[in-house]
Amino acid sequence: MTAKKENAKRLGIYLLIVFAFMLIFALFIKPMNASNTVFYIIYMIFSFSPAIASLLTRAVTKEGFRDMKLHLNFTGNLKWYLLAFGLPLIFFSARILLPVIVSGHSEWLGGFTFQNVLASAFMLAALSAVQSIGLLGEELGWRGYMNQKMEPLFGTVGTCLVGGIVWSLWHLPMDIAGWLDGEGTLSDSLMMCVGRMLLLTCFGTFLMWLTKKTDSVFPAVVAHFMFNQSQGALGELLSQGDIPENADLGMIASVFEYVPMILLAVVFMGLLLFEKKKSPETV
Amino acid sequence: MTGLVYKEWKQNRWFILSMILCGAMPVLFLLEKDIIGDINTVRTFGTICAFLVAGGLQTLVLRGDDRKLWGYWITSTSDGYKGFLRVKYEMVLGMVVLFMFSLQMFDGLLCAVAFDLGTTEIKDLSNISVPLIFVQLLLRAVDIPFTLRYGNKKGSLIKLIYSLVFAIIISAMILTNFCNFSIALFETAEKLFSGDNLSMVFGVFSVSVLVIYYLSYRISCRIYLKGVEQYDR
Repeated sequence: MTAKKENAKRLGIYLLIVFAFMLIFALFIKPMNASNTVFYIIYMIFSFSPAIASLLTRAVTKEGFRDMKLHLNFTGNLKWYLLAFGLPLIFFSARILLPVIVSGHSEWLGGFTFQNVLASAFMLAALSAVQSIGLLGEELGWRGYMNQKMEPLFGTVGTCLVGGIVWSLWHLPMDIAGWLDGEGTLSDSLMMCVGRMLLLTCFGTFLMWLTKKTDSVFPAVVAHFMFNQSQGALGELLSQGDIPENADLGMIASVFEYVPMILLAVVFMGLLLFEKKKSPETV
Repeated sequence: MTGLVYKEWKQNRWFILSMILCGAMPVLFLLEKDIIGDINTVRTFGTICAFLVAGGLQTLVLRGDDRKLWGYWITSTSDGYKGFLRVKYEMVLGMVVLFMFSLQMFDGLLCAVAFDLGTTEIKDLSNISVPLIFVQLLLRAVDIPFTLRYGNKKGSLIKLIYSLVFAIIISAMILTNFCNFSIALFETAEKLFSGDNLSMVFGVFSVSVLVIYYLSYRISCRIYLKGVEQYDR
């Protein structure tokens, strides 16, 4: 079997296992709504399904457990760890704060005092070191396995696009859970799904670049943690300001929701392609 | 480097995996719920006990490498003693992180079960567990250089002596109010731990612990070879 066929087979098995977990999540929606315990157990298993799928695929295909990118590789890569921490924070700051400032509502940012911002940044920095490990359940699968198998098949751009779509489709049960539970409409859920697809595809480009640059999944774990936590931290600071209940920034908020992330994706896609061109070709 | 990771895993895998069990400890305390009190008290008590047991187990992974022959051999390898120490520090950090993850995972399960059983007043324990984790990391940052410099047994003893001397000096300064020390200490504590400053203090403390842990590694690199000379005596 050629290397490409072998890769396609492994990728196929991996995706089958991941989407089997997704199916289990969807099938258990009713019992999950009825019981917190069932919800918690299924949710935890589901959160780790990409990592479980990568381990199962490695075992089933007898590929072995080498090159899982589980070394921290701190030496020479500390700056990329810092970038993994800082860039999602900068991105979400731009996404949340810029529309407020541009639309002339700076008075809403009363909670953003120097002390509050510094305290939040310190807390995020400390927690990203000790609490981000849960996201290894995703990154070990997506960046540590799936991307490696996809790149020889789809190329770098294709991996970013297809990988991002797969990654966001995996979140689908969570996106439509509200609708299945009778809250909201299907179109709202689908809009959320499309928005997430755009964001995750763009952010996935950065995570792929980080993983390739450091040969480790841990910077991607930190960046993913920051992607999840920055929103909460900034939202908390924003809630301390004087924001009217019916506040609506309109179109400008929608623009800033996606534009910074698209720019980020373009930059890192460029870097990925540039570094690929620079690296010597292997036979 | 992979070889060193393999060596640590083979040598300490049960201690590493025991961190998962330590995280589950608060769940075991529920069996004694009627004796100890309500669910939040059980969780708090269980978390503190788990923290103590996990800390004890983490120090055990430092044993076994205080041999002269090992010290000379690892120094002569391509990774060198710095590589060995780096893997050791990464492993201890990994154990602390694994313990934290396990603790939070089992606590989440416990809360979900309690909620299903009708308990609605469930407190967020992260304001206890997260500071404890950073204290644990700080303690390990102190333990490791002592163990490496003086060996396991002697290192623990010397650390104990230093800690006692430090505690006696501080106590004496507080009791005798040396240079208004106790008043200054009280005022500083009052300022630091007021509502506005609390999150800032905790943020600075947490990041400082990470920096101290890294500095501890650098100190260990400096003193390791001096320690090796004293092993097996």
